[in-house]
Amino acid sequence: MALPPNVSEEEFASALSEFAQAVGDEWVFSSDEDVALYRDSYSIYWGEPEERVASAAVAPANVEEVQQIVRVANRYNIPIYPISTGRNLTYGGAAPTLSGSVVVDLKRMNRVLEVDEDRHFALVEPGVSYYDLYNYIQERGLQVMLDVPDPGWGSPIGNSLDHGAGYTMAPFRDHFGSRCGIEFVTAEGEIVRTGTGAMPGTDTWQDYRYGVGPMIDGLLAQSNFGIVTKMGFWLAPMPETFLTGTVTVPRYRDFDALVKEVSYLEDSFLTGMPSFGSPAAGGGFGQASPQMAELMQDGWPSVERLEEFVSAQGRPAWSVELRFYGPEEVVRASWDAAKRRFRDRVAGAAFEDGDFWRLPLSAEELATNPRKPLLGVPALEIFATMARNPRTNDAPLEGHADLFAILPRKAEAVHEAARAMSDAYGELGVPPAHHPFSTPLNFYSRAFIVPAIVPTWRDPARNAQSRALYSRLVDRCAEHDWIVYRTNPAFQDQVVSKLSYNDNALLRFEEKLKDGIDPNGIISPGRYGIWPASMRSGRA
Amino acid sequence: MKVTIVVAGLAILTTAALGQNAPSADTGKVVFDKWCTPCHGAVAPAGGLGDGALPGTSALRVKYNGELPAVLEERTDLAPEFIETVVRGGLFGMPITRKTEVSDSELEDIIAYLTRSNN
Repeated sequence: MALPPNVSEEEFASALSEFAQAVGDEWVFSSDEDVALYRDSYSIYWGEPEERVASAAVAPANVEEVQQIVRVANRYNIPIYPISTGRNLTYGGAAPTLSGSVVVDLKRMNRVLEVDEDRHFALVEPGVSYYDLYNYIQERGLQVMLDVPDPGWGSPIGNSLDHGAGYTMAPFRDHFGSRCGIEFVTAEGEIVRTGTGAMPGTDTWQDYRYGVGPMIDGLLAQSNFGIVTKMGFWLAPMPETFLTGTVTVPRYRDFDALVKEVSYLEDSFLTGMPSFGSPAAGGGFGQASPQMAELMQDGWPSVERLEEFVSAQGRPAWSVELRFYGPEEVVRASWDAAKRRFRDRVAGAAFEDGDFWRLPLSAEELATNPRKPLLGVPALEIFATMARNPRTNDAPLEGHADLFAILPRKAEAVHEAARAMSDAYGELGVPPAHHPFSTPLNFYSRAFIVPAIVPTWRDPARNAQSRALYSRLVDRCAEHDWIVYRTNPAFQDQVVSKLSYNDNALLRFEEKLKDGIDPNGIISPGRYGIWPASMRSGRA
Repeated sequence: MKVTIVVAGLAILTTAALGQNAPSADTGKVVFDKWCTPCHGAVAPAGGLGDGALPGTSALRVKYNGELPAVLEERTDLAPEFIETVVRGGLFGMPITRKTEVSDSELEDIIAYLTRSNN
């Protein structure tokens, strides 16, 4: 059995006994077999000494039990690592940042406390999954729409606290941005409510999130300042219809105008999440096709060469699918306005009507609908992109560590990022995934993301190569002043070190907070680079 | 028929005496539908990512190439130990499933469901 750092077997046994008194014997997991269930399935250190592993897990059923767990952990100086549904795949899964931590598994706290279809909000506990919340809404026929990340089995609380994102309209697809009201347990075991929740008996906790005075919600995300036990979210009223339309522009150089116009439409709240692509290149991002590899065999092509390539393909250089939500007359007018604006600004812009659905779709219609996340319907179909397929039949992917670089919404930045990432792959002898027609993702309406999907394996040799690539990409992005929005514990110190303004003043401020709020450093030591004072000296 | 009823009755008495519920294929289907069907179901989205099948079904279709059914619920050869190993340990892109998600008892129900037609 693994032990927490600097805790004896006797002390740990005593602590486990006290955990069991708090939650019941059944909900303390300490056998090797049970603790192994808290490994990160996609660990980039799988089976190596550096793999982050728990010493035990404890699963409370309510906030009072969370308080008791925190108090026991403080008594014994045992690091604890809260998880909600423990999915968070590619970003560490259920495994703790610090090996030997006791995972506090909040899955049993799975109550949907409220969904208001008139004021459009939900209040949930951490163990509630997007599926659970969706089913709750469906069973009651409530006319609200969720915004879900690609895998729907995660927790709205966990996803938002990791800055996860979805697919619908800008105010909702930023999941932390759509929160309203948090309850958390401090490292000392006290219950705190943020916003107007600090006023007993309030009826505005999920309506007005500022309260009065400092807004501390941000301290709970990608951090280790407390254990969130309730959280409110703003929801969209169920739109009457959903309509899509695709715009294409003919030349490589047109990407600049395309980006600027899409930003205008998004920032005017006229479209939901846009989806860029490149018909000439045959897709968006991903493994570069042999055609792209050939295009890049003599180095990064000139703009003139790229224009020749586009002409030779006979297809438009770029596309963007726009998605509209609302009453039929409004979405059709928005699409018409978008077409007029593109026509006025980009010579050769062309348009194609896409889907038009009246919402909500029935369960039967949804079962065969391939675009569930765009409609706020949880699914796991994204896993098909990594599942065994004819190309990977001999060695199916076992996991991945995602690196999503945050960029300004500028065409030149997208091209620069594609080239920088392609170079980084090439330097390590890895076939490039990026190419001159790589397109950005737009999960966050005000920023672009250029992604790199780094494979992980249950094979140390291949993981070593993946770690080298990931680390190289983090460095290369930082050289271009791009940060990664979220990362695996294996790289959190490295990523956070890039926030170096004024001698890493932000991290130093967070450390002062950590020392004051959690003096024993028991909650998630090291999460996103925030280590307690006792563990800070050894940090890279 | 009478023998079957008597045997079933004995089984209920035995498990009741032990304070346990016997694994139930019916309950297993409910648990399977919640936790497994989104990847391993038979009904796939048209034109979706999985080449006409959900992720798990799509992967197994490639793996078995028609030699075995790609839809788990159509299999008649799954060993209980294998099901348990995959659910608890994960396999390729399928992650580990913890006991706070699918309890040991629910896993037994899933096994009862997936092995209900075993040869």
